[in-house]
Amino acid sequence: MTDPLTARRDLGLALRFAAISKHYGSVEALRPTDLEVRPGEFLTLLGPSGSGKTTLLNLTAGYLEPTSGSVFIGERDVTRVPARHRNVGMVFQNYALFPHMTVEKNVAYGLKVRGVAQPEIVRRVAEALAQVQLESFGKRTIQQMSGGQQQRVALARALVIEPDVLLMDEPLGALDRQLRKTVQLELRRLHEAHRRTTIYVTHDQEEALVLSDRVAVMRDGRIMQIGTAAELYGHPADVFVAGFIGESNLLPAKVTAIMGQVVEAEVPALGRRVTAGLLPGLVVGGAAKLLIRPEHLLLDAPGEAIEATVEETVYLGELLALALVLRDGTKVWLRRFADREIPRGSRVRVGWQPDALRILPE
Amino acid sequence: MNTSPLPVRIAAHALAGLVLAFLVLPILAVVPASFNHATFIYLPPKAVSWRWYNSFFADKEWMTTLLNSLEVAVLVTLLSVALGTLAALGLERMGRRGRMAMAGLFMAPMIVPVIITGVALYRSAIEIGLSGTTWAVLLGHTVLALPLVIINVGISLRAVDPNWLRAATGLGASPWTVFRSITLPNILPGLVGGGVFAFLTSFDEVVVSIFLAGHQGKTLPVKMWEAIRIELTPEAAVAATMMILLAVVLFVAARFATRHKEASR
Repeated sequence: MTDPLTARRDLGLALRFAAISKHYGSVEALRPTDLEVRPGEFLTLLGPSGSGKTTLLNLTAGYLEPTSGSVFIGERDVTRVPARHRNVGMVFQNYALFPHMTVEKNVAYGLKVRGVAQPEIVRRVAEALAQVQLESFGKRTIQQMSGGQQQRVALARALVIEPDVLLMDEPLGALDRQLRKTVQLELRRLHEAHRRTTIYVTHDQEEALVLSDRVAVMRDGRIMQIGTAAELYGHPADVFVAGFIGESNLLPAKVTAIMGQVVEAEVPALGRRVTAGLLPGLVVGGAAKLLIRPEHLLLDAPGEAIEATVEETVYLGELLALALVLRDGTKVWLRRFADREIPRGSRVRVGWQPDALRILPE
Repeated sequence: MNTSPLPVRIAAHALAGLVLAFLVLPILAVVPASFNHATFIYLPPKAVSWRWYNSFFADKEWMTTLLNSLEVAVLVTLLSVALGTLAALGLERMGRRGRMAMAGLFMAPMIVPVIITGVALYRSAIEIGLSGTTWAVLLGHTVLALPLVIINVGISLRAVDPNWLRAATGLGASPWTVFRSITLPNILPGLVGGGVFAFLTSFDEVVVSIFLAGHQGKTLPVKMWEAIRIELTPEAAVAATMMILLAVVLFVAARFATRHKEASR
């Protein structure tokens, strides 16, 4: 009997950052950061441009030297190891394929410079091209390949060297929406097959949620929160994370009391006080935001409710999105199944799921 | 242009033709002149013959200076392409300010009047005991050719994506391997172009050569200058025809070399 764990021969190595930072003069591209990526994990760095995600990627690959801190791949401290000895595969945003080489030569490059024997190069290149479904495209020039195909060549080139860690810098950024969906599923299939430790950089939350085991949300050179998609969506640590992942209604609130692990806040838009789990950063008397996801607002539900007017209705296929104006003029979005028509201008009573409310620090 | 009235178009074409004729005809005039049979340069030639070609190729001094020029031009090409490529690579990696300052220094020989460069090199050559040698001519021409190589290679370097180099490095290539397998093939058109300019700069250079070349280092243009000043034989026209031919051949060849590269892009 084979042990299922040892049978997975491609299981990647762990990746660990210890207090790593990068400054450019007085600009802090990355503040001191600790992060551990598990062997075989698919971790996404999600954040707006300038949030430090590409910096972290370049520090991993060895294209940048950190100002302070260390990088470990497995047990090995690679902080001072040059990029070419790190065994890290990278897929660039613009693919960075070598324009003067054929598809085959591009994929073979990493094996050739490592001195792998020719027959083995031929075999492994064919294997890598088959993995990305480009078996018959080896002899083509890069210019003859479409954007989506080039993206797959770049992936094959990075995978063929059997890297300990695979890095991807917004690899789907240049593709159209339809193709992105296909490639997302493709990437997930490849990751399932190899379980290679992967860091994926994107500013697209949907991509992050589809692909990742865990997502780290970054802003201003720091990781704001890290967790599974469900954790980030259900329990965002602050207003930024809540706004970046999923749709959200954020209503102004003021903390009135803290009792153990429960916080109570006054929400003028709802005309009442609500309670939620306590989060770091909340103080009595301090300003906060009440988060209600659009699907947690309920029409004509029993229990607590307030009056609202339907200002706008948007059909999203099976879903219906309603823009509601509350008594004090605040606008919120509500989402529900499109099981009946709700005319614009109608007066409705809006309730909410009490346990889905989150009170977030500003 | 196409919407202009017919007379305007005719005038424009005529003007362009005149300018072209003004530029090219005086140069082309030496070609019939070289086939002259007479001892003086007559235009048009009264009788056509290879007489002066035979005498040009039989003359020891014409041949020595021609070979000298070819040798110097080849060496200048090799030296300035090697140094110029290194300089262009270095400039590419410098900060903005340093690059501006250094590029200014490298470009100086193109901006400073050649006569001043000539005098300066002459003084320096005497100082280090090279005056009148082929070495002096070789180094002097390299100074003049270097900016052309740096400009050509610099332009083609701008088309090299820094991510190609990162990708190659990440795949395990050493800096030298990255240069040889990624950078070099992509800047080859610039190298070839710069090399052709360097060759021609050296091959037709007169001013600096007159200062630096003694009898040992005398080049074809210097010999031509002497010949025209002193005797005005049609052999000078033969030499000029040879130079024009070589220049045309080199440019066409360079064009082919670079066009081939671009087509495979």
